[in-house]
Amino acid sequence: MQSREPNLRATASIVPLLTKEFAEIAAGRALWTMLLLVCPLVGYSFVEAVSLYSESSSAATQSPVLARSLSPLDGVLVPTFGSFYVAVTLLFPFVAIRVLGQEKESGALYLLVQLPYRYATLVTAKLCAILAALCMVSIPAVSAIAIWAILGGHLAATETLNLVFGHLLYGLLVGAVGLFAAVISDSSSTAAIMALALTIGSWVLDFTLAGRSGLSSWLAQMSLTQTLRPFEQGLLSLGLVLGIAAVIFGLATLTVVWLPPGVSARVKIVRSLSCLLAIVLALGVAAQVRTSIDVSEDRRNSFSSADEALLAKFRLPLIISVNLVPEDPRYIDLRRNVLSKLERAMPNVTVVLVNGRRSIAESSDAYGQIEYAYGGRTDRSRSTSPREILPLVYALAGLAPPMPGSGDEYPGYPLVVSADAALLWFLGGLPVLIALAWWWARRLPSIKPACLHEGGKP
Amino acid sequence: MIEGHNPAPLLSVENLTKRYGREGAAIDRVAFSALPGEILGIIGPNGAGKTTLLEAIAGLLPVDSGEIFWRGEPLGLARRRDAIFYLPDAVRPYRDQSTLQVLSFIAGVFRRSDREVGEAVAELGLQPALGKRVYALSKGYARRLMLAVGLLAPHPLLLMDEPFDGFDLRQTHDIVGVLRNQTTHGRTLILSIHQLADAERVCDRLILLSAGRVRGIGSLAELRAETGLPAGSLEDIFLAIT
Repeated sequence: MQSREPNLRATASIVPLLTKEFAEIAAGRALWTMLLLVCPLVGYSFVEAVSLYSESSSAATQSPVLARSLSPLDGVLVPTFGSFYVAVTLLFPFVAIRVLGQEKESGALYLLVQLPYRYATLVTAKLCAILAALCMVSIPAVSAIAIWAILGGHLAATETLNLVFGHLLYGLLVGAVGLFAAVISDSSSTAAIMALALTIGSWVLDFTLAGRSGLSSWLAQMSLTQTLRPFEQGLLSLGLVLGIAAVIFGLATLTVVWLPPGVSARVKIVRSLSCLLAIVLALGVAAQVRTSIDVSEDRRNSFSSADEALLAKFRLPLIISVNLVPEDPRYIDLRRNVLSKLERAMPNVTVVLVNGRRSIAESSDAYGQIEYAYGGRTDRSRSTSPREILPLVYALAGLAPPMPGSGDEYPGYPLVVSADAALLWFLGGLPVLIALAWWWARRLPSIKPACLHEGGKP
Repeated sequence: MIEGHNPAPLLSVENLTKRYGREGAAIDRVAFSALPGEILGIIGPNGAGKTTLLEAIAGLLPVDSGEIFWRGEPLGLARRRDAIFYLPDAVRPYRDQSTLQVLSFIAGVFRRSDREVGEAVAELGLQPALGKRVYALSKGYARRLMLAVGLLAPHPLLLMDEPFDGFDLRQTHDIVGVLRNQTTHGRTLILSIHQLADAERVCDRLILLSAGRVRGIGSLAELRAETGLPAGSLEDIFLAIT
């Protein structure tokens, strides 16, 4: 074999690298073990969710009003994917850590970093492998959607795809956390502790600080769990997607920074600080992006089409001064039912919490009042219902409320059905298929005759 | 072995120093040159700093001071892996893959043909191990796999950490032939060896390293002359110098 002169990077193909990454992740036990664990977890959640949905449906079949409250997104899909979320939070870090941790522990990392690829290319290939693994572990949850459709259940394409997309983004975020933990840790076990501290720590933040105000509220917003909420509510928020993408990209960049073993820790720390600053800036920019699409079939995040069309014509700023503390249930109602919908529908809405720093115990007579100001005119209300607030806003603008549109009502999709038989799939059929796929993935390739070159030593 | 006139060095190492924390230097102001097409041996007892030196040259370990030159030009970290390929000791890469899968991966990265893979396999006698997973390989076959990786890498300079570890006398003899064959194709090899008899057999020139410092550099004849031991073995010379 002839030696070549330097400058190899321009000629190296990414295909062998990707093939190696996929082969490595498929050869490990972590991925297949997780898949086998996800099957009963998702299966049980799905069967329970369908059972509860069916119970509610039996009462709703005689009442169209009750039926309207039955959405498969809330009743079946979100609980089913909820168990998938638990599995991803607790188990997926182990899969992601293996992508790099194995190479660090075996010393193969020394070979990897000498290959003619940019470090960014190496990390990108690993992220691709993590995404492929995530798609694989989502098979049980996706099969639950298919079973729901086979059972005659209703599926709205956009809200279902949005939910799946949200979970994939969340999984990739957890994978990126695992990858970064692996690169800064000496062993996979240390990396696992670090990654789980973050993911489980997010739960703790979520449970203990949710509904509080001030710093606690801000910290609760940092929880990874929060990233899924809008997707579960049928909302595709561009700002949130950009924010998650920025964090994933940032973690990947930090992994690139910490990958080369020949760079001193001091240089890596300086580069990491720059990277962290860029992530914070990107998150700040993402937070300013208010664009979101209500993809829920029942349009729970929007007013009626007629109202939205009229509100979109408001050109002057609407200023809403809310005399409530953020943890007050009335404020939570107001935000969900009115404020967030107004912010989406109107071009210029400002919400001011005039009592934001006090507690409920310190409240005065004015506490609970909400003032609406538009075009120099103001009005007050204590209601949190759009039925009272929208006419008030229209009156401020001197407009008549629109006529209620016909066909705007969500019909609801009650379904009385049993999914118990699906347990056979989740506890039997799917695990057997997974075991077969595992066996197939571990087969050794046949040896090409060219590799058994004649004249070699016996 | 390079004889006659002294060609320009391929690689020059100047004052390379690496400290771990507050301990003394693992390598201390190490300086030497490697000539094109030679086999240069770094010899020394365990803990002498051989592995640290190789990793520092390969750019896999941050150093406190010192510089590396390639054909007289400074060789920065970014360009280091275009010129130098390092084979670490006791590494079993991609343990769950078969030997053939690992070789195919490396061959794919460096655009080597099946014929070239076959040649490397034949040279190193790896045929019986091709279908085995890396974790199931014996120490000797794991070492051959790493050597095969080195043969498939196209870099002009190969650094090898203890390439004969795990081989018996006959196998070592065969591997020496394989390495010698590489130098006839213009490659330069720097080997870290703790078995002095192996080093004496394979190396054109030797660097005697002890406690992180270079104690002597030269061919066996030059070292004999330097120590005044005209019939001395490398072991005698090493003991005399250190």
